[in-house]
Amino acid sequence: MEALRHTINAFATPTTIYLSSVALFAIAMWKMEIVVKPLVMIPVVIVTVLGTIFALTDDHFFKLVTLPDNIPITIMLATVGYFTWYALKKGVENDKRLSENRPLIEQEQDRRVMTWPNLVYIEFICLIAITVFLIFWSIGFQAPLEEPANPTVTPNPAKAPWYFLGLQEMLVYFDPWLAGVVFPGLIVVGLMALPYIDPNPKGNGYYSFKDRRLVIGYYLFGFLIQWVLLIVLGTFMRGPGWSFFGPFQEWDPHKVEALTNINLSELLWVKLLNIGLPKNILLREGVGIVVVLGYLVALPPLLAKTIFKKLYQELSFIRFQIMCFLFLAMLSLPIKMILRWTINLKYIVAIPEFFFNI
Amino acid sequence: MNSKLKQIQKQIVESQIWKSIFRHGMPDDTRTRAMVVLSNVFLHLHPVKSREAGIRVGYTWCMGGITFFLFLVEAVTGILLMFYYRPTAEYAYSDIIALREHVPLGIMRELHRWGAHAMVIAVWLHMFRVFMTGSYKPPREFNWGIGVVLLVLTLLLSFTGYLLPWDQLAIWAIAVGSNMARATPFLGHEGPGASLLKIGDMNLVHAGDDARFGLLAGRMISEATLLRFYVLHCIFIPFVASILMAIHFWRVRKDGGISGPM
Amino acid sequence: MDIKEELKPPQDSVVVEDSYHMVTRRGFVSWLTVGWGAFAGATAIMGAAFQRFLFPNVLREPPQEFKIGFPNDFLEGVVDLRMQDKYGIWVVRGFDPATSQTGIYVLSVICTHLGCTPTWLESEAKFKCPCHGSGFYKTGINFEGPAPRPLERFRVVLAEDGQVQVDKGKKFQYEKGEWTQPEAFLKV
Repeated sequence: MEALRHTINAFATPTTIYLSSVALFAIAMWKMEIVVKPLVMIPVVIVTVLGTIFALTDDHFFKLVTLPDNIPITIMLATVGYFTWYALKKGVENDKRLSENRPLIEQEQDRRVMTWPNLVYIEFICLIAITVFLIFWSIGFQAPLEEPANPTVTPNPAKAPWYFLGLQEMLVYFDPWLAGVVFPGLIVVGLMALPYIDPNPKGNGYYSFKDRRLVIGYYLFGFLIQWVLLIVLGTFMRGPGWSFFGPFQEWDPHKVEALTNINLSELLWVKLLNIGLPKNILLREGVGIVVVLGYLVALPPLLAKTIFKKLYQELSFIRFQIMCFLFLAMLSLPIKMILRWTINLKYIVAIPEFFFNI
Repeated sequence: MNSKLKQIQKQIVESQIWKSIFRHGMPDDTRTRAMVVLSNVFLHLHPVKSREAGIRVGYTWCMGGITFFLFLVEAVTGILLMFYYRPTAEYAYSDIIALREHVPLGIMRELHRWGAHAMVIAVWLHMFRVFMTGSYKPPREFNWGIGVVLLVLTLLLSFTGYLLPWDQLAIWAIAVGSNMARATPFLGHEGPGASLLKIGDMNLVHAGDDARFGLLAGRMISEATLLRFYVLHCIFIPFVASILMAIHFWRVRKDGGISGPM
Repeated sequence: MDIKEELKPPQDSVVVEDSYHMVTRRGFVSWLTVGWGAFAGATAIMGAAFQRFLFPNVLREPPQEFKIGFPNDFLEGVVDLRMQDKYGIWVVRGFDPATSQTGIYVLSVICTHLGCTPTWLESEAKFKCPCHGSGFYKTGINFEGPAPRPLERFRVVLAEDGQVQVDKGKKFQYEKGEWTQPEAFLKV
């Protein structure tokens, strides 16, 4: 038991967890027809349940998971996991029906039924179930209350509400103006823009997968990996000083992470050319600025000619540009993560004089 | 005995009071069932008839309805909590303790807090369901946009409420969250571009007038912030959210009801 | 002659109207523009006024300028945490590499990353921020974690009565080269 815990602790780093999640995600996207089968899912559920029971035998993990404010995360994980599987299973089922020219699940129930009692009673039962659930939850877990507010003593770690922990985790890799302002703004704008940049008329009003593989992959990557996974990392594995801890590792406030991150300009001028940083800001950060502009401006036309060729023909020019911008913005997080893990890169463009760091 | 009861029932149902409230008999046939939906202002959100596939829990997961119901739970428990809670630095914390220790039914705050968390989850799942069934596609693009705004408002409601207990958890979560506003491009005094906005030697954007200052009503989290978040939490955001919810529900009807295969 | 052409107005006909009430289409449109423009302008001004309403003029916050004691109250090489709760500052007496002098400088307790209050870890000789793990040396220079720049220093001078006076209204930022300015540092 103890040995297993140590192995898991040793294995669990932001890098391994993130990369293995992305790998699993890619496999699921690739072989969805097989992944959603009960034959695959039942063992997954059993392993998850057994793993959770095993994990709960650890004092530290138990304390962390049963913190009142962390209960919703468990509920969220369970429901999001279940409904993801459920929606994809239905999508795969509908795909199969379409390919066999059979009517969709939704088309089989195309009757119009009286709202009273059919719909109203469903809502009524739902409402009662939710009320009962909430009452039990409220009796079982007291709402958290710590010491009175003291603006001069920061608790360690200090965390945002759990639903914003994905953003807080992003702060490790990006400055507040990006992680806290620009990216949340882009998430909102991107979600609102979704109906206008998804040109696919298929899959309207029924569960499907194959016909919408690209957009579903896009959305699920954003939701499951960039949002939910980062919340889990931020809640359960970020301890004092925002240091990373394995799931069964005591939170030691003196954990030292000997990490000194360097900027691209330092890497270039000091380490590579060995002549020291130039005084002129534009000269100093020139390479970084070119890289970022190239990423945002030069890459879209390139994508239009290569992997997004078909999409470029379906979308108008402006829609394609917006889609590409949002796509590249989303991709910038994993890119920055990998740069941090491999070459300890802090900023690509570092102009602290104007609070402009990327 | 039975006939006596029947007679009483008949007297009630045929009284002027009863008939003034209920315009239809027992909903046991198609006509009266339609009347129930049409003559009730709340049920009137629904059409008289619905697509069978669309009302299945397996299709909608009932998540939109649950979200709305949780909003109502939050409104009711929130109003009840307001009877005891005073948004001042002096009283806020002790009022929260009193809600637990002295006030009857000591789980009101728990209902409110857990209901809020549940609502956040329900909104995500509702959005996820709408995405997976492709229900954001024409003609429902606009309503999807309204829904995204409602999602943001739900998170903001939860966020503003987080400060009100006025404990360490509250102010530091808000400190971490609101400090990002300092870094808003051009509008925050530590945001890129802010230092370019100046007349001569005078900075136009500084700690005393930037986005964070507006949010916190001061340079730091103080009693003014508590009051500000209280008003945002209890009145302003629910007010805006209610208007948008009305639009959201109305557009569900107008854009063809609960979605189904086009 | 088909019906469409019949519906077209004759090209050379002149519509004669009562000259007193006559408003030409162009005139009407331009008045409409002025009207709507004025309405939009007034609404914008009102919106700006409402926004200004939310920015208070008077703050109930601690004073920005205060005296913290005599220079000899502060020990050489020690990071003084006594003023943290009351004024939100750390007072350090010792050698300052920025000016290559020995004296007193006053650091802001606000982490430059997201504004949490770092903790002074004596054994590791650094300020460590609990929120995201930024680390700062005793001088305020950032060396680890996500903090983009060093801690800020406040104006520190000797008052007439010989006490050390701190003014939080004037801050000095290292990355702007301000630490070498005279009032960023009190030579003792």
